[in-house]
Amino acid sequence: MTTAEATKQFHYPPELEADFVKTRGLNFSDGSHVTAAEIWRFMTVDAPKRFPYAFDLGTHHGGRPSEDFTLFSGIKKSYLQLTLKDRLLKARAQGKPVILAQGGQAMDLYYAGGGIPLRPGVIIGWARNQEEGLSVRQNDLRGVGILEAGRNRVSMESCNQISAHAAIDSGIVPMDIVAPYLCLRCSDMAYLTESHRNVSGIKDGLALVDFPIEAAGKPWAAELMAKELRKLLDKIGQFTGKPVDDAEILRVIKLGNRARAYAREIYDLWWSAPVPPTSGDDLNVSSAVNDLLGDPVATVDLLEQYRDEVKWRVEHGVKGHGLSAKPKRLLICGSCVGPNGYQVERAGGVVVGRDDGYSQVTVDVEEAGDPCLAIAKSVLAYPYELPTEQRAQWTVDLAKRCRADGVLFMYQWGCNFQTGVARLVSDIIKERSGLPTTYIEMGELSKLEDTEQSVNRVESFIEML
Amino acid sequence: MPGSLKTIGKIRAALAARPAELAEAKARGRKVAAWVNYNIPEELLDALGFIPVRLGWGGDDRLTDIGARYISTKNCVFVRELVGRFEEATDPYIKAADIVALDATCLQVYRVAELIKYYFKANTVILGVPRNFATPEAKDYFRAETAHFVARLEEQAGQKLDAAKLAESIKLYDAIRAAIRELYPYQAGDDAKITWLETFDVVQAGQFLDRRAYLGLLQELIAELKSQQGPPVVKDPHSEVRIFLSGSIIPPNDRKLIGIIESWGGRIVGDDLWSGLLSSIDVNIAAPTVEAIADAYLGRAPHAALPYLDLESDGRLKNLKSLVHKFKAQAVVYHTLRYCDPFTFKANETKTVLNKDGIPFLEIHTEYAGSDYEAIRTRVEAFIELLKNRNLVEA
Repeated sequence: MTTAEATKQFHYPPELEADFVKTRGLNFSDGSHVTAAEIWRFMTVDAPKRFPYAFDLGTHHGGRPSEDFTLFSGIKKSYLQLTLKDRLLKARAQGKPVILAQGGQAMDLYYAGGGIPLRPGVIIGWARNQEEGLSVRQNDLRGVGILEAGRNRVSMESCNQISAHAAIDSGIVPMDIVAPYLCLRCSDMAYLTESHRNVSGIKDGLALVDFPIEAAGKPWAAELMAKELRKLLDKIGQFTGKPVDDAEILRVIKLGNRARAYAREIYDLWWSAPVPPTSGDDLNVSSAVNDLLGDPVATVDLLEQYRDEVKWRVEHGVKGHGLSAKPKRLLICGSCVGPNGYQVERAGGVVVGRDDGYSQVTVDVEEAGDPCLAIAKSVLAYPYELPTEQRAQWTVDLAKRCRADGVLFMYQWGCNFQTGVARLVSDIIKERSGLPTTYIEMGELSKLEDTEQSVNRVESFIEML
Repeated sequence: MPGSLKTIGKIRAALAARPAELAEAKARGRKVAAWVNYNIPEELLDALGFIPVRLGWGGDDRLTDIGARYISTKNCVFVRELVGRFEEATDPYIKAADIVALDATCLQVYRVAELIKYYFKANTVILGVPRNFATPEAKDYFRAETAHFVARLEEQAGQKLDAAKLAESIKLYDAIRAAIRELYPYQAGDDAKITWLETFDVVQAGQFLDRRAYLGLLQELIAELKSQQGPPVVKDPHSEVRIFLSGSIIPPNDRKLIGIIESWGGRIVGDDLWSGLLSSIDVNIAAPTVEAIADAYLGRAPHAALPYLDLESDGRLKNLKSLVHKFKAQAVVYHTLRYCDPFTFKANETKTVLNKDGIPFLEIHTEYAGSDYEAIRTRVEAFIELLKNRNLVEA
């Protein structure tokens, strides 16, 4: 029995192929193009062999694939995710540095500098994918091994992002630069970045971008960040050997703004529909906007197709696959976790948005003036990064826009900063919107085991709604 | 022998009388500025006419539980207890506070600021601190941020910052810091008339006492020590187990680890705790201006909460090693509070750095609960036993 046969796997229905291959393919930043037929072949022949875990239908599989097969842009999104490893290694071979960045931040500058930024969660996935042919259980155990190595080296009180840092330190993934923003979403990033300073392979590629708190009305705060972004460009330039002019930064900013605009449009369409047109996981396009899946051009192309499909579904009253007749609508707050979407929908709910994800698509970068200052002003204005009372008020408004029935604040075990305001955000939302709220700690750290506590609490909350 | 110093008794008496004194001062119209963290320049509070009080206590598991209802169990016990005290609102210093100034060195403290403002209506004033503290950009930012902080304080004080008063305040605080630096070596000397814990308590009494009176008491204490002990000297550091204490904050009332070390034959002879000696080191204010104060605070011995990416030039580690040698300590006990990431995440690295210099290192990871007392005692006792054996071998 092969590993692929050992678990319950899904396969894209062959009868969809004819329609799928008629759709647009994807364009890439290097000028290349992949056809829909090539995508179909990869997703039905190559990927199931190389990454069997990704096709596993186990209920505890957090990355359980969408079975909404007729959402073709969803398949293309999975394609971009599963080809990321190959694209990263190819790009690195061509002199593009790969960079660990903070999640939830504008990645425009990293791309403009000629690098490829990756969130810790994506790096964790890459590290697991470095060994192919694994079942979901084998993939999970590989991840646990990397996690525990990191906890052993630095601290067991870190959240699961320590896996990304451990994978870098041990050379499982070839990383050139570790250069995150130090925003208030994350208490671990600063010290995990610092922990690389005694690791010979990466210590010359370290940088931190300061992210001043309470920056509103303080021009010196944006100026500090802008200067640090310039230094970040210099750091990336040390690896590419190429200086970057403002025109190139502006070009990438325009791409980033297009991605953000498409994402907002998708959310608005989705929220305007009487019935949810896709599953909650398929709505979560902000993760693609966040790091642009390793290629801004391909991601913008994908989002345009996504927008068109969601629009068609809304116009035709299509209900998302697997949803109950009137699912209870959950808004997820916190970071960097969310509930298992499949289990939410099985319990009669649907995730209609995430404050973290939506925050990062709400603010465009100004396409004029000093581009570093423009990026700094943009990210400092992200609602999620504002002082907590303001963030909570924004979340109240968001809950109304997406017609949430309840709000779940979720946070990773080990996160000092989101845990610290979980009650505050929840209380303010409850007071000002009247919506039921609760907060849940995710102790499983992305493992497949020990998920019962969080699953039970999510299901109970939906049941209460 | 320790315990015989009259000035220590005076400081304790002053501390006991301080809440009533504060109440009287407030009745006369004075305002109290309570503050938390590491980089609030007290000089500014003092020059604007506030009575500065540095908040922060430890060791109370009950208050920690109360605080966790608002913050979380994934935050360190120091901030949990602080929030718990605001909830309970019986502490005289918290009750007296007209404003609460908090800086963003440790960002868990910033979260405390958000919570006490919302739930307990504390009148908070925030001072931002750059994370990349050692860069020219950080200096510009902190100057501007400190000026903004001053403007907020001026609104609260109802008066503008006066240059002459600022110069006087700087002189006062420079003198306090110098006195603490002068005081510290006495406890580490042979036949010391003062213990490290007494010294530590004296430093922490300064969080609450009237600063002018406190300076007088410090000077009196030093004079008493000069007279009773003479210049501090250490002839044979291997005649005892000399421990240096480092790591997460040990605030007033948290005496669990200290008690264990001292009970089992260790002699603490120094620290680089931000609730101890660290706050009195390397604050060099070049001119009586807000900018110079900002520069001096940012340029002082760094706090672990501010990340630094070059191991070789890390000022915190250099300072730690320098103080270990200065106080002729043989080993470092590194105290980390659960969920105090700035210190916990650096523990293994600090151990490696110190071990390279032949300095033994023991990390004690703890909270305010008493349930781990025996586990800590066993580890500390074994560590001290090893050090004693090493001393015998070296003798």
